[in-house]
Amino acid sequence: MKQPIPDRFLISPFFVFFVVHAIQIGVGALSFQRPLMKAVGQDAWMVVLLAGLAAHLFIWLMYRLLSRAPFGGDIVSLHQHYLGRWFGGLLSVGVMCYYLLAALTVLQSYIEIIKVWVFPLMGTWQFSLIFLALTYYAVLGGFRVVAGLCVWGVVIPLATIFPMLFFPLEYAQYRNLLPVFDHSFGQLVSASKEMTLQYLGFEMLLMYYPFVKNAPSSQKWAHAANGFTTFIYLVIILISIVFYNQEQIQHLTWPTLTLAKIPEVPFIERMEYIVISIYVLVVFPIITLSVWAATRVVKQLFAVQQRRSLPVLLVILFIGTLLLQEKADIERIGQWTAKLGLYLVAVYVPLLCISVWVVEKVKKTLQQKP
Amino acid sequence: MRRGWLWIGALLLLGGCASSSRPIDEIQIIQEMGYDFENGRYTGTAVYPTFKQGPMTKPNLLTTTSPTIYDLIPRLSSKSPLPIEEGQLRLILFGKEFAKRGVTQITHSLARNNKVGSHLLLGVAKGSAKELLHITAKTTLSDTLYLPNLVEQNEQSMNLPKTNLHLFLYRYFSPGSDPFLPYFEKKGDFVKLEGLALFRDDNYVGHVSLRDAFLMKILLGETKNGVYQLKVGNRGKQGEDRVMLQNLWAKPKFEWKRDGSRHRLDVFVHIHASVRDYPSWLDPLMGKQLDNVKKKMENELEHNIERLFRYFQKKRIDPLGFGDFVRSVTKHWDQAAFYREYPDLDIRPHVTVDIVHTGIGE
Repeated sequence: MKQPIPDRFLISPFFVFFVVHAIQIGVGALSFQRPLMKAVGQDAWMVVLLAGLAAHLFIWLMYRLLSRAPFGGDIVSLHQHYLGRWFGGLLSVGVMCYYLLAALTVLQSYIEIIKVWVFPLMGTWQFSLIFLALTYYAVLGGFRVVAGLCVWGVVIPLATIFPMLFFPLEYAQYRNLLPVFDHSFGQLVSASKEMTLQYLGFEMLLMYYPFVKNAPSSQKWAHAANGFTTFIYLVIILISIVFYNQEQIQHLTWPTLTLAKIPEVPFIERMEYIVISIYVLVVFPIITLSVWAATRVVKQLFAVQQRRSLPVLLVILFIGTLLLQEKADIERIGQWTAKLGLYLVAVYVPLLCISVWVVEKVKKTLQQKP
Repeated sequence: MRRGWLWIGALLLLGGCASSSRPIDEIQIIQEMGYDFENGRYTGTAVYPTFKQGPMTKPNLLTTTSPTIYDLIPRLSSKSPLPIEEGQLRLILFGKEFAKRGVTQITHSLARNNKVGSHLLLGVAKGSAKELLHITAKTTLSDTLYLPNLVEQNEQSMNLPKTNLHLFLYRYFSPGSDPFLPYFEKKGDFVKLEGLALFRDDNYVGHVSLRDAFLMKILLGETKNGVYQLKVGNRGKQGEDRVMLQNLWAKPKFEWKRDGSRHRLDVFVHIHASVRDYPSWLDPLMGKQLDNVKKKMENELEHNIERLFRYFQKKRIDPLGFGDFVRSVTKHWDQAAFYREYPDLDIRPHVTVDIVHTGIGE
């Protein structure tokens, strides 16, 4: 059906660490504490761990599924091979819509932050246009460029924003962590749904899997990335629990940004503006990779060149940002993305995995019979 | 790809056009703000520096009144030739009458305001905030930050516990504690830090002296600094029977016990202190003499702490966060039940003093 992708377009397995981690940590890291602490208060850190473990399971399942794809292919070729041209194609379009929705969520949430914190008088379209123009440029560079962006999107924020998180410990009230286990296990599990959007991001693997050299060996790096994501969320939630009390955090839209109000540096009064600026590097790889994955679906499905479909998809995104500007809308598409993503990784992929396994089994027995 | 760059560059330049930058001499930077309530109207006072030659600044004031609180800043604007910027606010002073009516309208608006930092200081003035700000503007030559510096200095080296916007909101929202703020008073032509203003929810209900603020500072778990004068004898003339204690390191510990049908809260405080000044008849301060003085100190500290607790219980306020402590050791803590019991709660202080040294001379 298709040629294997030439070596010069591939990334080495190690880079999967950066790609998975960069996409997982996004705008959600600025605000996930609020719903979490509303549900389970001081036990929120356990939910972070729980959700992290669940994500490990889903990554493992995804690798099981992708290793069975024909020609080391992606989800589109899997669909076509096992579910037929039409039904499979329809599902592939669904996956593409999900990728676009993910890009839209991140883009829109970040623009909202800029508008609320830094430039209240500027319109959405200006930011949207700049971002999408940059996305156009980056995606044209191909997957390796996108993966390179992910590397910087991990390294620079880690070196600049991450250390800033520890300044608020000056005000830490460690007794806020007590009493431990004040909530039942059922409550913890149901609260872990709130962490969906925060851990999502590894489902992009469904598209870029064939771009990884010796792909099955990259599984350990994907797990490492997820482990690191869990660690970062754990640090953020622990600091938030000891810095805020549960009632106070309900009054903040972006608790992590308010944390950044604490460090005092002589030459710059307010660090949260720096954090917001650097956050471009966190947000940008997510948008580019999602858009890249969407164009890749189009290419695999309709054999349209990526450089042709890219402008169309970007225009759709642009119109999307113009139409959904209100806070309630932004929250709603965030919830949709979380829900769709959860169904994709927690319901659809396991189902597909089982059906593929059954089909292979049946084929084998049929071959053995005659 | 060169065309792509050109395109992006043009876009970025275009983006730059939309935001307007504001040079420092074209804005009015408010550094202190006062709120008062008089005769049914609210008064807002803003202190801002005017830049004269070089680094010399002169504090200036703007005052306006309005029947509502939210209207004050726009009304101030109508008196100011330059746009008002609140991003550099360092201190907000509430008049006592204003504070009695509640300060949430201001603090919540500050919490929502992205321009204001978490280190912003808040305070309560005994009389009117406007009058106090006028005095500071008059007495200081070039410093608009008189009050913020006063507070910070006393927090760092003396008896005042740490307070700022973050801590105020933290204690306000916490189900198990109540906020407090520095309390200022006019003394002649000067402004004096008098102690701590105490709040129930967001309403001013009373204040404690700077001496009691030392006890609060220790009980809040701020481990260092603060001085405390103690009476250790009965020898007639004033000053001759007192010692001056300087806290070097102190740690409070709480224990929550069930005592029959009632609860009991034991508060253990261990103070490592140095004796700064002591009367000559105590010389030399060592051996049995020292033990004796220590015992007396512990007794008096316990007595004073207990008096402070009774005061809080009488006022039904919890600035030390006992509720929060009890929450941390109880599963499914019931806030309402705890505060129903609170006024008659048996809270017992136990003080241990360790005198580390008595200075470089004997």
